[in-house]
Amino acid sequence: MSFLINSIEFKDVSFAFEGEESVLQNANCSFPMGEIISLRGERGAGRSTLLQLLAGLQVPNQGRIEIDGLNVSEMSFDEFLPYRLKIGYAFDLGGLLSNRTISENLLLPLNYHKLCSPQEAAERVNYYINRFSLQKAADVRPANVSGGVRKLACLVRALLIEPELILLDDMTVGLSKGVIETYCQSIDDLRKAGKTHTVIFSSYDELFSSQFETVSLFLEGGQIYQHTIEKRAVSL
Amino acid sequence: MVLRAIDNLGRRLINNVEYTIRVLMMVYYSLRATMSDQAQGLRTIFSVVSAQIYFTGWQAMPLISVLAIATGSIVILQSSAQLSLLGGSQMIGNLLVVIIVREVGPLLTSLVVIARSGTAVASEVGNMRANREIDALESMGINPLSYIVFPRIVGGVVSVVSLAYYFTMIALFGGYLCTRLIQDIPVAFYIESLVRALAAEDIFLFLVKTSFSGMIIFVVSCYQGLLVKRSSHEVPQVTTKAVVDSIIYVTVFNMTVTTLFYLNQLIELGVI
Repeated sequence: MSFLINSIEFKDVSFAFEGEESVLQNANCSFPMGEIISLRGERGAGRSTLLQLLAGLQVPNQGRIEIDGLNVSEMSFDEFLPYRLKIGYAFDLGGLLSNRTISENLLLPLNYHKLCSPQEAAERVNYYINRFSLQKAADVRPANVSGGVRKLACLVRALLIEPELILLDDMTVGLSKGVIETYCQSIDDLRKAGKTHTVIFSSYDELFSSQFETVSLFLEGGQIYQHTIEKRAVSL
Repeated sequence: MVLRAIDNLGRRLINNVEYTIRVLMMVYYSLRATMSDQAQGLRTIFSVVSAQIYFTGWQAMPLISVLAIATGSIVILQSSAQLSLLGGSQMIGNLLVVIIVREVGPLLTSLVVIARSGTAVASEVGNMRANREIDALESMGINPLSYIVFPRIVGGVVSVVSLAYYFTMIALFGGYLCTRLIQDIPVAFYIESLVRALAAEDIFLFLVKTSFSGMIIFVVSCYQGLLVKRSSHEVPQVTTKAVVDSIIYVTVFNMTVTTLFYLNQLIELGVI
């Protein structure tokens, strides 16, 4: 199975939001690909920022983010586009277009980039809508559904493009146990189908973490530590 | 003391020039992003453009109608009365073309669009930024410059040109009908006077002013909206800034074009 994203490395990456303290300071990390990676650390340690850097939503102030040896942090929007289409990113808050219905939001990346035929896109969206019981919310705009449904729609959108790399930002808060289990099962399905190889998530939710064998990366003092290689699988 | 004042003035001037260049560069970047965006089809652009035309153009027509009739009536009534006193009634067409077609039509329409749609676009884009919708688009590989900014600029330009044309027609003919209630101006005389006065350069001036004003309003509004970082409390601030900047840019632009036009005429006439 050949993938577009085979290795990700941070080399002396520093990042700070404008007028704020540094989140990352000369951080180095080689992400263990093919794993479910749990980002750990105190609140404000920079877990969300790290995911945004990986998704190309932020550019480091200093240092290099390399995918397969290529410095992607210096790439233009168009140059980075092939990688973006292989990364599914779920936001902690917001992220759904407010002037489109939930199903239109889900269809957007598939139809915009013509990743599959319109019919196949509709079938794929319907499959996930049914799987996550989003039928009632499908034709409603995000403002008219609960926060949990919005969050779930964001999570589903990250899966729809069948990405190689899934980035999940503190996304399971407020979701029911059943939904989290279904979501984990969906990720598992994509991995078994050879479409997704790596998942990087930040979550305090032990229920989500316990569904997988995870590798933990720990963020502290602007550095990234590979805290534990030890895999664990905790049964529910 | 004086040196510090000059220093501050210079710094402010440089900041304004830099800001203007950044805003203008966004037109170029959004055009370039649209050209290089292989995925975005004409259909996607057209749907956003048509929505923008509907909100900016179509929905503004009642307000524009009222303003146009009022402006047309006032200008026709005042000018015909004054010209009659001076014995130059046949010049009414020339006066109306200069005032309505060249100056008031483009400027007043632009100001209405700034008030209605400039604010709407700045707050819409600002809220999209605060709600991370822009981030979501980027994460899905959709360039906000081609998906959000460019169609709004195109829709804005089309709307302002169309609305200004509508304003001019209503002001000239609606205003005439209102004036007839008070003062009798023969319709044939009025139309002939207008047709005789209207030249190609008037239409050129009208198109230049309206199209560039439309572009200025929407690029400034989008630019300000995109300046929102993470919090929705920034949205009212950028909206106010978008309105103020748009008014300044549009009025200065209109004034500059008019000045250059008259300077050119004076040069052609050999006055200077």
